[in-house]
Amino acid sequence: MPEAGFVRRLIIAISLLAFEGNASATVDEAIAKAMEAMEPYAKQGYLVRDDQWGGDLGVKQQQAIPHTLFKGNDYWFAVGTDIDSAHITIHIYDNRGRLMENDFWQHGRFAGAHIVPPATGTYYIIVEIASSPAERTHWAMVYGYK
Amino acid sequence: MKIRSQLSLATLLVIALARLAVADAPPRQINLNRFPATRMEDVVVPLPSEVFNVLDKLGTPDWRGEMRTPNINSRGARAQIALLLGSVVAEGFVAVEAMDKERVKQIGRDVLELARAIGVEKTVLARTNAILSDADNGDWLGVRRELDGALSDVKNAMIELRDDQLAHLVSLGGWLRGTEVLTSIVGKSYSPDGADLLNQPDLLKYFQERLAGMPPRLRGNQLVTRIQKSLNEISPLINGTISPAAVRKIHEITSDMVKAINSNA
Repeated sequence: MPEAGFVRRLIIAISLLAFEGNASATVDEAIAKAMEAMEPYAKQGYLVRDDQWGGDLGVKQQQAIPHTLFKGNDYWFAVGTDIDSAHITIHIYDNRGRLMENDFWQHGRFAGAHIVPPATGTYYIIVEIASSPAERTHWAMVYGYK
Repeated sequence: MKIRSQLSLATLLVIALARLAVADAPPRQINLNRFPATRMEDVVVPLPSEVFNVLDKLGTPDWRGEMRTPNINSRGARAQIALLLGSVVAEGFVAVEAMDKERVKQIGRDVLELARAIGVEKTVLARTNAILSDADNGDWLGVRRELDGALSDVKNAMIELRDDQLAHLVSLGGWLRGTEVLTSIVGKSYSPDGADLLNQPDLLKYFQERLAGMPPRLRGNQLVTRIQKSLNEISPLINGTISPAAVRKIHEITSDMVKAINSNA
């Protein structure tokens, strides 16, 4: 259930098209890469939500995405970028700022983080462009649960 | 000498690897107040199926006893239809849990009817058709996926039509009916884990902010005003440990709200 104001596929495309002609293609690429990173988990039975979040970040810039996670579910979050040689990371913190993920991985333009929440509540998904040859790098996040 | 140089090389390698590891390892603790990350304005509103997925694991509630028949003929302003649409989708999840094919199919038709009433029928037609055929096939996971998808599609269509406010009301309608069911189930067999599912203060705050930020024509809607007051009543009940009494109170409030949505009161 994404909300208005979220930078989601359609919204990203519309807003970026206003000032950047080929933006939707780059956003689509980031979404495609995030979905690619999610693929192994879909095969493991995770239900992948049909919504995406994203935007563009400079190098070393971070984005925090607040999310209510439920104890009893098991989540994988995956991110991807539109730039082949960029490095992106994703980590999960609770509302007291404690690192809560059970597992994470980083592989160039892809990254993932896994959490089995110990309690229901707000968690912060932190996405960072660790390095990139571009000034701004488009990124997208998807998640699945079971 | 050779050993010493090998040792030095090994030491350098260890230092290099350690630095690499440090660079890759995320900090164990961050100060969210002073964190440099840009925070997205909105929280991610979970899909109904994320909640029902957990409820599946909480035992075997009497789902049939939780089912309600939405009154989709009682239609008023677009705000009420949006709230009703969200609550009907949530009702679909209850019917899925009860494995009631006919009820699920009726809900599929109701979703289409309500979507038509607010001008986004085409967006959900494929979804509602899929709900009907998945229900016939007993593909409950498929029905859940289509219900989630219908909710997202309707809201995206509204946002496309620059009707973001109605999209929020659809979410809120779903949340109210979902919370009514959740509190009913948890109230009948209280457990701290079950009650913990209500620990959604930021989500509630998000809905409160969305209602507060609505244009006067919507904020002045009697139903919207009533819901706004109710959310303010729920707010103090879901901070910290949620007691059986708090669960009962939240159930009362959300039940009243769902009735109001269905009666256009």
